[in-house]
Amino acid sequence: MLLEIQNLHKIYNNGTHALKGISFGVNEGEFLVVIGLSGSGKSTLLRCINRLIEPTSGTVRFLGKDITHIKGEELRKIKAQIGMVFQQFNLIKRRSVLSNVLNGKLGSLSTFDTILEKYSDEVYKEAYKCLETVGISEKAKVRADSLSGGQQQRVAIARSLMQSPKLLLADEPVASLDPATSNSVMQYFEKVNKEFGTTVICNLHFLSLVRRYATRVIALKAGEIIYQGAPSDINETWFRTIYGEEAEEVEIR
Amino acid sequence: MILDPELELHPQKLIANRKRKADKFNLYKAIFLDIFFVFYFILVVQRAIYYKFILNLSDLPFSWNEILSIFIGSVIIGTFWALSKTSLSCKLLGIAKDNKTTKWTVEIFGWSLFNITFIAGWIVTKISIVGLFSSEGIAGAERLFGAMFTPQFRIFDDALFAMIETIYIALIATLISIPPTLVLSFFTARNLMKDNKISFAVYYVLRIILNFIRSIEPLIWAIIFSVWVGIGPFAGMIALLVHTIASNAKLYSEAIEGIEQGPVEAISATGANKIQVVWHGVVPQIVLPFLSFTIYRWDINVRMATIIGLVGGGGIGTMLMQYQGLARWHEVGLIIIMIAFVVWIMDYVSAKIREAIY
Repeated sequence: MLLEIQNLHKIYNNGTHALKGISFGVNEGEFLVVIGLSGSGKSTLLRCINRLIEPTSGTVRFLGKDITHIKGEELRKIKAQIGMVFQQFNLIKRRSVLSNVLNGKLGSLSTFDTILEKYSDEVYKEAYKCLETVGISEKAKVRADSLSGGQQQRVAIARSLMQSPKLLLADEPVASLDPATSNSVMQYFEKVNKEFGTTVICNLHFLSLVRRYATRVIALKAGEIIYQGAPSDINETWFRTIYGEEAEEVEIR
Repeated sequence: MILDPELELHPQKLIANRKRKADKFNLYKAIFLDIFFVFYFILVVQRAIYYKFILNLSDLPFSWNEILSIFIGSVIIGTFWALSKTSLSCKLLGIAKDNKTTKWTVEIFGWSLFNITFIAGWIVTKISIVGLFSSEGIAGAERLFGAMFTPQFRIFDDALFAMIETIYIALIATLISIPPTLVLSFFTARNLMKDNKISFAVYYVLRIILNFIRSIEPLIWAIIFSVWVGIGPFAGMIALLVHTIASNAKLYSEAIEGIEQGPVEAISATGANKIQVVWHGVVPQIVLPFLSFTIYRWDINVRMATIIGLVGGGGIGTMLMQYQGLARWHEVGLIIIMIAFVVWIMDYVSAKIREAIY
């Protein structure tokens, strides 16, 4: 099992109890989608997995190793194996697309070389290959903030591919994109999942996207798992349980 | 590994505990604040309004016993008031009872506090409308302004040289300040230093030192350094340098604190170490604001350098001081016009450069 989470709790310093005893496992090659309302703990869960934040209690096992409370060099090694894509793309706006992609390699290069921006030819080749994977290599030299939202998110995917990740986390990667672009960005996640066999854990809002791309779904509500299973099994009743009585499903194609 | 053994059983309990602790701490703060408010209120009413205004005493009677008894009275009133949770500070800290008594005390006491402060301020400032419009005073001002508008151009060469000296003093102070400011700004940015206890201690100590240095005006620094290294441009330059480092470190570090956290989070998620996160996540976001602050500071320093000259920091200010001492108002007029002209140009140019950068 690639990832194993047991009885995970996260209480923030302001007292918010974001995760209340989450347990689940992820096998290699899965495309797991996490759904739930805003504030249900989806983002917190992802950040506990790649340890951008430290869980309050419980355990996170990655490749059989307990990473719940590791620190320093050990933690950086784990982070380097887990890619992450964010809702707001989080590129360095004033830098070029290429240098943003090269940033994905920071974890495995020496500090001195990266400060002088001395990258070997192989690393450059790899960066262009990652950009080709997301179909955007012709934009390598332009400034990141001159790209459209969908293109920026593809650059962000390319950046995480530079890590050759075992696991790719995506925190609502299409929530600030229009429906058509959303679908095309999701197709790149599918490509990464199918071609490289990278396990993907993705937070999503739209059920139509969930049904199309997920191999398995977890639904969170107020920090607890209330549904776990195949995307096709989410019927009207489940939908209302997850999103509340007044919710109505919005189609996006 | 579980950090808090209780947590597995009662996660809610921890939240309640934290809230209780925060409330308790706020109550202590409220007690201190209330004591201060009451003490201030009584002292101002007694000394500024009663003694000075109503009794019109020129020498205020002073005795430690009196102040001590007022203080003890304030401690008693303030403590009970805060403990009743109906006081002004309780309201400010959000732990007050929500009832009529709170509403009335807060409104009445709050307003009285504001009003007596304003009245006391008026009395202390010795505001005098008569003085502003007396015929004697106006005649003096007329003489001065008249002389200034007919400047004496005989000293133009000397003044020009002194002006250039001033601009260079400001420029060198600004340039030399850049490297130490850069280093300091990273160590005084909260978001970079808060993660671990040692770095947070460094942050805290540096902040205190810089605040202290900044709170001393460049004018005072110039006095100190003109004793230290002797009167002249060098003293003025060091004075400006010290103050520039302290104030720009604050501006820079605030720029660092105000950057987008998203890209920084993204870089640290790639497994980059601390130095790499700062270099590739923070630095690209702050280069332009830093440049802009530095240019603006040069502009400020030119203005300050003229003032610093007044106490022996060299340049045009020193020259102004000499002619003012001799009451040669036509020469003073020329110098003031030159200062105004240069400051105006600097202001315009630095604004244009800063616009172009962004």
